[in-house]
Amino acid sequence: MAAPHEVRVILQDFGKPDSHTIGVYEAGGGYKALKKILVEEKDKWTPDAIIEEVKKSNLRGRGGAGFPTGLKWSFLPKGNDKPKYVVCNADESEPGTFKDRYLLEELPHGMIEGMIIAGLALNSNHGFIYLRGEFYLGWQRVEAAIKEAYAKGYLGENILGSGKTFHLATFRGAGAYICGEETALLESLEGKRGHPRLKPPFPAVKGLYGCPTTVNNVETFAAVPHIILKGGDWYAKLGVGDPKSGGTKLFSVSGHVKNPGVYEVPLGLPLKKLIYETCGGLREGRKLKAVVPGGSSTPILTADEAENATLDYEGMAKLGTMLGSGGLIVLDDSTDIVEFTYRIAYFYAHESCGQCTPCREGSRWVQDVLARVRAHDAQSEDVDTLLSFTENMGNGTTICPFADAVVMGVTPIVKKFRPEFEAYLQRTEAVPSGT
Amino acid sequence: MSTEKTYQFSPHAEARFKELETKFPQRSSLVIWALHLVQEDVGYIPRDAVDYVAQRVGVAPSWVAGVVSFYSMFHEEPIGKYNLNICYNASCYLMGSDKLEECVTRKLGIKPGETTPDGLFTYTRQAECLAACGKAPAIQVNEEYYEDLTPEKLEALIDELKKKG
Ligand SMILES: Cc1cc2nc3c(=O)[nH]c(=O)nc-3n(C[C@H](O)[C@H](O)[C@H](O)COP(=O)(O)O)c2cc1C
Ligand code: FES
Repeated sequence: MAAPHEVRVILQDFGKPDSHTIGVYEAGGGYKALKKILVEEKDKWTPDAIIEEVKKSNLRGRGGAGFPTGLKWSFLPKGNDKPKYVVCNADESEPGTFKDRYLLEELPHGMIEGMIIAGLALNSNHGFIYLRGEFYLGWQRVEAAIKEAYAKGYLGENILGSGKTFHLATFRGAGAYICGEETALLESLEGKRGHPRLKPPFPAVKGLYGCPTTVNNVETFAAVPHIILKGGDWYAKLGVGDPKSGGTKLFSVSGHVKNPGVYEVPLGLPLKKLIYETCGGLREGRKLKAVVPGGSSTPILTADEAENATLDYEGMAKLGTMLGSGGLIVLDDSTDIVEFTYRIAYFYAHESCGQCTPCREGSRWVQDVLARVRAHDAQSEDVDTLLSFTENMGNGTTICPFADAVVMGVTPIVKKFRPEFEAYLQRTEAVPSGT
Repeated sequence: MSTEKTYQFSPHAEARFKELETKFPQRSSLVIWALHLVQEDVGYIPRDAVDYVAQRVGVAPSWVAGVVSFYSMFHEEPIGKYNLNICYNASCYLMGSDKLEECVTRKLGIKPGETTPDGLFTYTRQAECLAACGKAPAIQVNEEYYEDLTPEKLEALIDELKKKG
């Protein structure tokens, strides 16, 4: 059952028995978009027409960066001198994010149909789904779904008698957050350590095996069949905020709300409505302290800021933060913000790939300083040290944005809740604030 | 070590590897897949399996060794039969994962990174969020997720796994 404000497009079959199977997907209109492109309206749907429709939808990458999907696809060269690849980023590991896991386990066919359509748009015959190694059930479900799609003639050679070919294979990662970054993912998919590549060249020109490649998130692909079926304009208009943010978005809501979970709501919904109406509000007797809006790498919002926040790319930018992956972490007034920050820093220190010095050393430093604060073993200058990292790591000093993610995840918390960090310097015992 | 049998794929892993060989345009992609197969076979990546994978895929052993050390899911030493991965990340923290960690230490007498003397349990502090935050606190035991946990439920789970042995 849909919660208040939910508009279920991608999630239309969510919660139905056997939602992961092809029968349920087809009954709800699944693979109709593919038939429309290849059979019913085959003269209309040239590769350019598919890309134009996706552009019209204002679909923006759901993996975190929010880059317009149609535009990204248009960057791949048109010629056929090299093979092209469609890669699905199912490495989901941004803290606070769990929507892709649900899609992989419960609704894998939407992503698969979206990848086939991307293949047609880009003249690509090969797709790969890179799943996070921990997602074993998700991987099994995706494998089973791929087999079903082959059996029905949606994958393989001569798809639906069209003469078009698209093959799909899965790949399992093995425990490395950085492999969610698209060029690290490609390195990993080539069987190497997950070290991000210097950009440019971008994957659109030089991606997997040095060939033109698009890398998109699970949710991004899953939106595509609906855009083809009902039109880019229809999808764009689902958004209720800034027109540049089209459609619906999945939010993974966790932390101190009554009903955490994955919800699909129109972009542009006020954040307040999501927390208090869709998710049932906070636990009894508690007040909102802060919200991390889009995964641990996005700057935190105080309760006051959250009051007027809008859930779209532009609304978040206005508050100096980002929609990111839509991984919303809600903190009530029982939260020990210092410990919370330490957990995030601990994670980054463990997951820096080690390639660039400012990131490798910087993320360890951030963790070390916070460990001292948390142990009541810090000087007041240490809080300033935490803030000074902004200039010294990230900011273009590294190959990939991991270091920026550390800075954006940690510094705003220290800035906005500084007195609580300072209280830790003097206290002899940890007392959660607000209690 | 000449008396030890050197590693090679089990018949199941061999069949899977042959199938995977048809799916990737370049063989180097098989390195990580092959290591997953090894770990499914024997529970960790023995040193001779590194050489074996290198030879089967057609890359240098140092390439494979570098991959094993980079990815946290690949174990270079044997670990317990049940790997208790307790999420240490933000949302699980908010929902009380510390109590789960206390529970493991109290019940099994082991700290993060340690294995029980009977070789049954390893306790791993999971730095990466498990993508189960909506049902936090969460843990992963081998391939399986356990969500919405309490110390009581975790104790019951440990008892059940002990019984299974
Ligand atoms: C450190 C880091 C981690 C990332 N992790 C993920 C991830 O887990 N899943 C994902 O889809 N994108 C992730 N991204 C974003 C990808 O690099 C890339 O932008 C995305 O897969 C593109 O797909 P989209 O345009 O459909 O969003 C990450 C980026 C960075 C810098
Ligand atoms: S924080 Fe533990 S599963 Fe996400």
